[in-house]
Amino acid sequence: MKLVMERRTETPISLMLISPLIAVALTLISAAIMFALLGKDPVTALSTYFLDPLSDSWGLQEVAVKATPLVLIAVGLAVCYRAKVWNIGAEGQFLFGAMAGGYVAIITHGSTQGPWLLPVMLLAGAMAGACFALIPAILRTRFGANEILTSLMLVYVAELLLDYLVRGPWRDPAGFNMPNSVVFEAEATLPLLMAGGRLNIGTPIMIAIVFAFMLLMGRTLKGFEIRLVGEAPRAARFAGFSETRLIITVFMISGALAGFAGVLEAAGTIKQLQPGLSPGYGFTAIIVAFLGRLNPIGCLFAGIFIAITFIGGENAQIMLRLPLDATRVLQGLLLFFVLACDSLLLYRFRLLRGAAA
Amino acid sequence: MTLFEAIILTIITASTPLLIAAIGELVVERAGVLNLGVEGMMIIGAAAGIAAAITTGSSTLGVLVAVLAGMALSLVFAALVLGLAANQVAAGLALAILGLGLSGVIGAPFVGVQRAGIGKIEIPLLSDIPFLGPLLFRQDPFVYASVALVIGVWWFLTKSRAGLVLRAVGENHAAAHALGYPVRRIRLLAIMFGGGCAGLAGSYMSLVYTPFWTSGMTGGRGWIALAIVVFASWLPFRAMVGAYLFGALTILQLHAQSAGVPLPSQFLAALPYLITILVLVLIMRARRGGAVGPASLGVPFVPDR
Amino acid sequence: MNITRRHLMAGSAGLAGAAAFGQQAEAQSRLSVGVVLIGPVGDFGWSHMHDQGRRRMAEVLGDRVNATTVESVAPPDFDRVVTQLVRTGHRLIFTTSFSYFAPTQRMAPQHPGVFFENATGPTTLPNMAIYNARFYEGRYIQGVIAARKSRSKTIGYVATFPVPEVISAINTVMRGAWSVDPSMKVRVVWVNAWSNPAREADAARALIDQGCDVLCSHTDGPAPLQLAEQRGIFGFGQASDMTRFAPRAHLTSSVNNWGDYYAERAKAVLDGTWRPTDTWGGLGSGMFRMAPFTNMTPEEVSEATRIRDAIAAGTLHPFEGPITRQDGTVVIPAGRRLSDDEIRAQNYFYQGIDVAMP
Repeated sequence: MKLVMERRTETPISLMLISPLIAVALTLISAAIMFALLGKDPVTALSTYFLDPLSDSWGLQEVAVKATPLVLIAVGLAVCYRAKVWNIGAEGQFLFGAMAGGYVAIITHGSTQGPWLLPVMLLAGAMAGACFALIPAILRTRFGANEILTSLMLVYVAELLLDYLVRGPWRDPAGFNMPNSVVFEAEATLPLLMAGGRLNIGTPIMIAIVFAFMLLMGRTLKGFEIRLVGEAPRAARFAGFSETRLIITVFMISGALAGFAGVLEAAGTIKQLQPGLSPGYGFTAIIVAFLGRLNPIGCLFAGIFIAITFIGGENAQIMLRLPLDATRVLQGLLLFFVLACDSLLLYRFRLLRGAAA
Repeated sequence: MTLFEAIILTIITASTPLLIAAIGELVVERAGVLNLGVEGMMIIGAAAGIAAAITTGSSTLGVLVAVLAGMALSLVFAALVLGLAANQVAAGLALAILGLGLSGVIGAPFVGVQRAGIGKIEIPLLSDIPFLGPLLFRQDPFVYASVALVIGVWWFLTKSRAGLVLRAVGENHAAAHALGYPVRRIRLLAIMFGGGCAGLAGSYMSLVYTPFWTSGMTGGRGWIALAIVVFASWLPFRAMVGAYLFGALTILQLHAQSAGVPLPSQFLAALPYLITILVLVLIMRARRGGAVGPASLGVPFVPDR
Repeated sequence: MNITRRHLMAGSAGLAGAAAFGQQAEAQSRLSVGVVLIGPVGDFGWSHMHDQGRRRMAEVLGDRVNATTVESVAPPDFDRVVTQLVRTGHRLIFTTSFSYFAPTQRMAPQHPGVFFENATGPTTLPNMAIYNARFYEGRYIQGVIAARKSRSKTIGYVATFPVPEVISAINTVMRGAWSVDPSMKVRVVWVNAWSNPAREADAARALIDQGCDVLCSHTDGPAPLQLAEQRGIFGFGQASDMTRFAPRAHLTSSVNNWGDYYAERAKAVLDGTWRPTDTWGGLGSGMFRMAPFTNMTPEEVSEATRIRDAIAAGTLHPFEGPITRQDGTVVIPAGRRLSDDEIRAQNYFYQGIDVAMP
């Protein structure tokens, strides 16, 4: 008797829908066991993690606010990863976008601002992110330098640059010498959408982008090109698609989205530039991209789910004294189970009788 | 001891954990598997290592437990990636988060506990040779282990039959399978080796470098180790060059600050990363067409009977 | 459905959840106190010490408080964490980082019935107090001891970031050192992290290799001190008593004591006497103390004790004039003292410190 794995030729829809649910169920079960081992009541813990964040309008707004940058970055990364271009530096592109948009807010601080300010900031952020992403793109296309290494190293460079700028040239002169920039004025911050929460226009923009990219990937020639280069590079070459131009394109797209997310965070939730601007959004987004199976709608749901686990984790610290590490373990387990269940979609497991040939 | 000697010794200390983790990952990648979870395995090694060392009072046991912890975590990765043919990039990231979270849970009771670090081994007579003596013959056991690992891995990959098979699996797993080689078993062993090395590197941090436990004490060194494997074009001795280059740059920038070099400290701190990119580009230019790594790297293997 | 769940949450957080609904301070039965940390509890550094403060407060006040910690809260998540603390009935919230100052300033007016305390912040609001410890007093003492112990006449300083808190600390160490020996020098390495033990160890190695034989560290971890022990030189601990990490190298440590301050403030809320104070406590008020002096001769110990007592009593002030910048301009003449605000804003090195301002 032998257990073999074979690639499926097609995947039944029912399985595609059930698979993520099974993964979530398995995660919840393991999480319950972990909570019990840590001495907490599993049911209360699970409800604190997953139900509390959704229990009222404020909570839902917070989920949206937390999910927005994650989904934005993940959508861009999904495009890259579909083409098998491994952009690991989204965190750096995020920071670069925040710096560029923040710079616009800083130099116009105190002088005439207007409704034109915010769009300029957002544009600056997106462009800055795209330019920063150009570096690993060009290093790959001109010199064949592996983009995993280059994009990762540049993350550290971006962090140190932000640190230098907010401690030096961009430090708020009235800020008691603390390493913060000026707090952005009202016109340089994102308008709120409703009272009783922090929901801002970043979220509807994010949803629009998700749909735009669904169209791009699913219905345009460019989308087809991206997917083809990833799945069948030789066929793509025969079809006349230039790999070089594509690598640069996808890097710039994901850089722009990451940079856009950066300026959204800086102008929306934090309203100033600080060294600790990002709690690792660029890296969390990589997970969101994979959880979302590298397609935009999937990234949306995955981003929302991951945002819930973060917020649930905070609530668990406050209400149950569960350590932050429990949240990390839960997220790791979630990713594991989703990957495992995904295998069920791609492969079929069969038991064979008798010895193999 | 002159300043120069002192700097070299510090560089050796800084580079050793990078090298040990990198050489393990190098073997894994040569077998065709990309394990991005090095940071998770490293920090679990650090936590488990010091937890065991403090609880039992034995450093040796601590190191052993660290290696086993790294291997155990890598087994989870192997189950996903080999058993279920899951996406390796995602599985590696999951490993990194899981390892980080578990390490915090394991290490929590040991925060602030003091422990003597593992000392250096002194080889009598030889270590009295001026300059080279202390450098080569008075080091802690991990340094010797790292050199032994590099030489061992080099020999294994280039001179042994098993290494040849492993490389074949990494280059073309379908052909290797057709020839009858147990692709998944080879990859499993490679992944476990990588996990053990990462765990060992982690234990270096918590048992020698700074002998106590704090959250996140590996500080991203696992990611740097990944970069070093790429930088080394998957060759063992180049990995040594890469690890020492990065270690040297990190230490030299600190020395530059201490000596009063009037450049912003953040710029100096960024130098190791920038120079690593630069050197990689120069290497790629010199090779003209460059190493792309084992051809099956990252591709899931599903045997068709 | 929502209301029921919310009451369940409040109940599990503490009795105080049902109490105050946005009024001024009144006598309460049980107080829920929140502590927001910028780093992990396990960093054995800044955040760890604030968590220890929370424990001490819980110890002192027992059943009268219910204390909660939230760790590693990044700036974008701060608003939400504070809101959730308020929603679950926490009436006293300590935000333990200058990164939280602007957001705390923003949130305090939104929750007038809640009392906020920001560590190392510069200004107060009607329901926001600020607090800090005059760590520089400990630095002065360290400088005096270092000058006595150093043979190479060079102090090594493992610094974190070039912010005024660190710069004034370096200045003050040297002030203390120069009071014993005007020829003392200092070397500084910026680790660019608040907690990165391996890099602190490397920084310490670099400083020692370049000739420093007494180490001061601004980070709250024991790595530099361990290095000092390894290399057979002297060093100071920071934030907690670090004698056990370096039995032969340890001279003294500045031991944080947030706990008593936290207990005091919680009690003030409970008694209805809370005011938005600006507390910058030093040795005199017990915000921190010096660990027992070790590895010193009896004369050195009595000198250090004398100076410590003088600082605590206020007769010795580390920021007395004349103070001159590196470029020679005089900041204040003899006979004057720097005000608290001037100390907080000190971003220049003293003349005699050959370290470039980064």
